[in-house]
Amino acid sequence: MNPKDFYGRLISVFLLISVFIFSSCKKENTRVFDQTPDERINGALTAYGSALTGSPAGWNATIRTGTGGIYHFHFRFNESNRVFMFADINLQTASTAKESSYRLKDLQTPALIFDTYSYLHMLADPDGSVNGGTNGQGLVSDFEFAFDSLATDSILLTGRVNGTKLTLIKATQQDFDAWQNGAWANVVAFENINKIQNYFKRVNIGGVNYDLKVDPVARTITFTWVDGSGNVQQFITAYNYSSTGVMFVTPFDAGGQTINGFEIVNWNAGNFTLNIKVNGTPATIAGATQPLKVDVTAPQRWWQYAINNGGLYWISANGFHVNGVEDGFGIRTLPNYYYLIYWPDYNPGNNDLFAPVFLNAAGNGLELLYGAAPDKPQFTGDGRAIFTLLGTYGTYPSVGPAALSLTQLLIPQGYYFIQTGPTTYDMVSASDAKAWISWQF
Amino acid sequence: MRFIKSSLLFLFGLTLLVSCKKEDPLNVDDISGLGGDTWIKTPLDQWLYDSLVVPYNIATKYKWDQFELELNKDLVPPDESKVIPVMGTVDRVWITPYVLQGGVEFFKKYCPKLFVLVGSASFNLDGSITLGTAEGGRKIVLYELNDFRNKTMPGYVPADSAIPKQMFHVIHHEFGHILDQNIRRPVEFDAICKGLYTADWINTTDYAARQDGFVTAYAESSPFEDFVEMISIMLIEGRSGFDNIVNSISGTSIRGTTADQAKARLRQKESLVVDYYKTAWGIDFYTLQTRVRTAIVNEIY
Repeated sequence: MNPKDFYGRLISVFLLISVFIFSSCKKENTRVFDQTPDERINGALTAYGSALTGSPAGWNATIRTGTGGIYHFHFRFNESNRVFMFADINLQTASTAKESSYRLKDLQTPALIFDTYSYLHMLADPDGSVNGGTNGQGLVSDFEFAFDSLATDSILLTGRVNGTKLTLIKATQQDFDAWQNGAWANVVAFENINKIQNYFKRVNIGGVNYDLKVDPVARTITFTWVDGSGNVQQFITAYNYSSTGVMFVTPFDAGGQTINGFEIVNWNAGNFTLNIKVNGTPATIAGATQPLKVDVTAPQRWWQYAINNGGLYWISANGFHVNGVEDGFGIRTLPNYYYLIYWPDYNPGNNDLFAPVFLNAAGNGLELLYGAAPDKPQFTGDGRAIFTLLGTYGTYPSVGPAALSLTQLLIPQGYYFIQTGPTTYDMVSASDAKAWISWQF
Repeated sequence: MRFIKSSLLFLFGLTLLVSCKKEDPLNVDDISGLGGDTWIKTPLDQWLYDSLVVPYNIATKYKWDQFELELNKDLVPPDESKVIPVMGTVDRVWITPYVLQGGVEFFKKYCPKLFVLVGSASFNLDGSITLGTAEGGRKIVLYELNDFRNKTMPGYVPADSAIPKQMFHVIHHEFGHILDQNIRRPVEFDAICKGLYTADWINTTDYAARQDGFVTAYAESSPFEDFVEMISIMLIEGRSGFDNIVNSISGTSIRGTTADQAKARLRQKESLVVDYYKTAWGIDFYTLQTRVRTAIVNEIY
């Protein structure tokens, strides 16, 4: 064999081997599952869809938002991508079913999307005025959920953005009826406590008087009472609802008695009282006309604060709350109304200013059209401020919301002041505590 | 070497023959979501189809789709009850005036083809909110639909006018961009405020910008934005509203522009915009302005 032949054969062998290397094809089926991914995801979506629509009485849902609040919902899904829901967010959501839209979609995992606005979105709404959360994130909740598990009677889901947990438990007809018949609305009627016309809402538990302040948006209850040494004490707890009552997140220790919540008996719309049971003992929350303990220096602190901080003024967006009606005089109905102001020492050493402020015609500035000039308030020894009128600026209206607001300001009994924050005060009528105005700096 | 060459050819042919047959690539599975989202149509879907898709080929996405929106923002979809009022308003304040002035063919050719609706505002880190954004002359995102009210709705107060007005501002602004990108604005326009454009517009108030001859602070960012801010503000404020803006300028700006110079610049820009609409698009700007402003007044004042 000459070297040329040898090399020729060697090359042929290599080339033949390469033929098989390059032409080999691996036909082995390496799937772990016996269906393709698309078949499986379509199967999963169908299974979830028929589970959701397959519960005739709907689903009881519980969601815990990122801010810690627990909310209950009732969902009924139909096959036309519509969902009907109740929620224990407020009186309206607890009593009126809302229809909105949903769809199932594969987003990395199969997902349930509530795709138009519903009660569920109120929790996630980034507008803090909707749900009491922070602007930009609301209560840190979700409306797009990934399915975690599907069992016969329950579906677990996790929010895709904020990771909130949503639990769906198949509802019975009784569960559905509890919403439809108003059992939940009866509990959420706890919010009616804020319809009590007096500023002070009082309940006697175990011989001690407590003033309650309920913030239905942030879902907190503040208990205020005077302890044995005459000092004012406060206790704040978050709360949520069950189908029978209000549950406190932090139990309240009321003089040795631990209170986990209030059972709601009923709201008496005739005399504005809320009947409850505390550990089985009936009690009544009703209005009161005076604080448990008057903050004697508050009126003067309020007046002086504005002067000490730039000589500016206090504002109120809604004007007076009167006899249970927010903006009871309709000051917000004045054309181009912006807010109501009280300006201590407006004319230094002489008088204050009380007036509505308006948006100017160009819409780019504020203007005063008229104003009332009260004297510096008289601060009484028992903790009231009494306003008297010295004169007016411009032509102060004699009828309408501005006139009614001024008349209210000048009531001879004057006002108690309740400091509600570093730069916020509530000014409460000392006559019957049925009129008040919230000032902010 | 000829042996090697012929062997190579033979082997190459063999490789082709030995290769196995691959599956038909057209035989795919039923891919979920291919072709977009589907749902059972409602009367609302039908209204949008009849009122915007059929006449103008404008799609409206009101159901939640995170991928149309900024991923780092918490937003919520709109309430279904707000969709028709908002898109009806958009029709009256933007579509109808342009169709009446420019003709339906003109409008269909240039209008952005997708509206995405959001229920809440888009909150920014500095606490401000965004009421509208747009992308590439194709998509306009409108926010805060759930707070939308026009004066035909119960409980309307003047403060509610801010939201619709901002929507109109965004839409007219973006449509201005599309026109400018198709037929370039006159070169003289860029020269009017040459040297005063600044990236620092964000720290400027509208009034301070006006003292330099810009209609808004944002107009200071570039001639490109200046031109469409002029269009948008002139349309939504109307002729007398724009006159009020010009006449409100007084004093000398921080950068040394006198009130008379600022007013003259705004007037010069105004006349260039009017000329541009006439020569480029055959549209009488002042008539268009009257139509838009009248429609806005009917909505919110």
